[in-house]
Amino acid sequence: MTDEVDVLIIGSGHSGGMAAKILTGKGISCLMLNAGPVADIGKDTELRQAYTLPFRGFKQPGRLPHVFQSNEFNANTWVDEKEVPYTVTPGNQYNWVRVRLFGGRSLFWSRQSFRLSDYEFKGKSHDGFGDDWPISLADLSPYYSRVEEIFRVEGSTYGLPQYPDGNFVADDRPWCGSMQRFRAAGEKLGIPVCKQRTSLGIDGLASSINLLLPDAFETGKLKAIPNVVVRELRVNPKTGRVHEAHFVDRLSRREMSVKARVVVLAAGTLESTRLLLNSKLANSSGVMGHYLIDQIYGAGIVCSVPEARDGKTTCELMEGAALVPRFRNLQNRSKNFIRGYALNVSSSTHPMDPRNFAAYGKDLEDKLDSYSGSGFHVGIMGEVLPHYEYQVSIDKSAVDAWNIPALHINTRYTDNEFNMARDAVDTSMELAHMAGFELLAKNYDPNPPGYSIHELGTCRMGNDPKTSVLNKWCQSHDIKNLFVVDGSSFVSAGWQNPTMTILSLAMRASEYLAEQMRQGNV
Amino acid sequence: MRRRDFVKAVLAASVSPKAMMGQNAPSAVAPSAPPPIHPKAAPLPAAGPVPWMRGLQEAKPLPMNALVPDAVARTNAHFFSDRQIATLRQLCEILLPPLKKSPGAIDAGTPEFLDFLISVSPPDVQQMYVSGLDRLDAEARRKFGLPFTAVNVSQADELIRPWLRTWMTDHPPSDPYEKFINVAHSDIRTATVNSKAWNDAMATDADRRSEEGLYWYPVDPDVTQIYQRRS
Repeated sequence: MTDEVDVLIIGSGHSGGMAAKILTGKGISCLMLNAGPVADIGKDTELRQAYTLPFRGFKQPGRLPHVFQSNEFNANTWVDEKEVPYTVTPGNQYNWVRVRLFGGRSLFWSRQSFRLSDYEFKGKSHDGFGDDWPISLADLSPYYSRVEEIFRVEGSTYGLPQYPDGNFVADDRPWCGSMQRFRAAGEKLGIPVCKQRTSLGIDGLASSINLLLPDAFETGKLKAIPNVVVRELRVNPKTGRVHEAHFVDRLSRREMSVKARVVVLAAGTLESTRLLLNSKLANSSGVMGHYLIDQIYGAGIVCSVPEARDGKTTCELMEGAALVPRFRNLQNRSKNFIRGYALNVSSSTHPMDPRNFAAYGKDLEDKLDSYSGSGFHVGIMGEVLPHYEYQVSIDKSAVDAWNIPALHINTRYTDNEFNMARDAVDTSMELAHMAGFELLAKNYDPNPPGYSIHELGTCRMGNDPKTSVLNKWCQSHDIKNLFVVDGSSFVSAGWQNPTMTILSLAMRASEYLAEQMRQGNV
Repeated sequence: MRRRDFVKAVLAASVSPKAMMGQNAPSAVAPSAPPPIHPKAAPLPAAGPVPWMRGLQEAKPLPMNALVPDAVARTNAHFFSDRQIATLRQLCEILLPPLKKSPGAIDAGTPEFLDFLISVSPPDVQQMYVSGLDRLDAEARRKFGLPFTAVNVSQADELIRPWLRTWMTDHPPSDPYEKFINVAHSDIRTATVNSKAWNDAMATDADRRSEEGLYWYPVDPDVTQIYQRRS
């Protein structure tokens, strides 16, 4: 048995995987703890028809009520809120969507791969709201490039400051016909319609478990324990450094502890924050848990491309996707919201959802026949503003299955987000109308906070220890051997899927940590 | 080694392999007539390796295709009142009748399946269905002087069509009755399209076949145990 590990990494998703890859690559021994088991696709999954399942493909009633992404096929991959509960302020629903399998949410993410721009890093300088990050795009750009290479991000370059270019696998596929029409409509309104940027990974999987952790294990420097839930971090009172993690075996409930020279937290924004709050650590600023942010999803439209109906759909016309990067509040100011949103755009040759038609019986079947393969979808990805009062804290009245106090989440969207969503839908309808598409359905209401699975910001970084939890290296201001490398360091959310930024920050922080260890500073 | 343990070990070691596997060996005595044990007979040997495990490992898989119950049985409705389930059956008949080669909602056992599904659903969903079915029947009686089960297709259309809406995933209409009509319609379609009857009839139609997906079994399924220990 080892008395002390060099670096203890808590969490095995993208950020923990990146920390393990970088640190072990520099010869540093790491121990990784993960709260859930290792999944084995061959053993744990099977192709099934819905009629063979107990609920015919419906979600099991009452199970996972706040995981809108769940269904009867995938229900066993999500954290059950009965096992790991959280509480919310009455009236303020929050969808905390979690995966504790080894590899975390990196197993299932959408793979949209964007850089933040200086409209996000330096948002306050641009519009006066909130705070600037202590870093800029230039600081993170070299790390983005390396991450993009590992994840094989496919994309095109546009030279747009709000949609920074990167180190891409060139996307030279032609635009499909329906997207060409949408692009032409965008040009008339001065709205850029660009190619998506997506991690190709390997065989479509761009996860910690296939792109990061194999390299780390290859060094022989990484050991990992699945199925252990960390209860508390403890500080050596003589040194003021964190030196021990207490954890509980998920299955047996045996209480154990391990000593470490350095702790890297990578459990996901809210679990890392919960652990620190439960440990009563690293919060001299008092801002830990505050400024919870994510992104607006759910508002959007569904259209039909008339020329693709009645059996005339083709891949050349309908198989496509596009991304409209933020275009609001760059040079001009919108009248009723600040910051901006992007639009996810897709078209397909697939059958359409019956809910797009106010019809039933034969009438509906005829419409489904006619409209099959003509669907065109536009959805928002919008920035949520950080507010001090929207926060998480510990609710001692509730505990999880291992008697660990639960998180209380208090947040809601404000007029800025609702106005942004309305603008996104109205703009989408205008673009679709100009492109000659038929509007079938629209929705102005964002999904509840948390739905995007992009929770961020509750251990924000900054230069001032009085107003931030972490410094620009994701290192605790208070405890020098404590790093938090997941999304909790974000100062603003932007509209972008945060994964590339989380990975780049984790890479940057881990290289800094390795150098500090080499110099004997940590 | 303590004496008692030593004796156990010797006894265990003295049992022949044939005796260990006795459960699998053919016996001259019928299982229903075990030989009497003499009161002074030597004690049975201590338990050795569990013999039936080897047999289980070596057993060939049964040549069976497991049936789903819907292949031969119908669900017994028990949650809705007689009037409500009759209203639901009529609603199913109207919204999703048999068409071309596809079975209708009634053929798929959808009303009875939804009775089961709603019976295990949260109270707000149960309330939406119960009050929605009651109102639909009441509207038919008010407007046509007939229960909903007795209205004709044209009358049913007058009762249903004004409430139909288009809507996007996770955002059904907010008005309770409007929500009932549209969610029930969606549920009736899902329960029917995902039924065995539909699957059998539409298996070769790429646009209309039942949902198929990668099903995840529980990974280290300890949750139930944890609940039991906590409760």
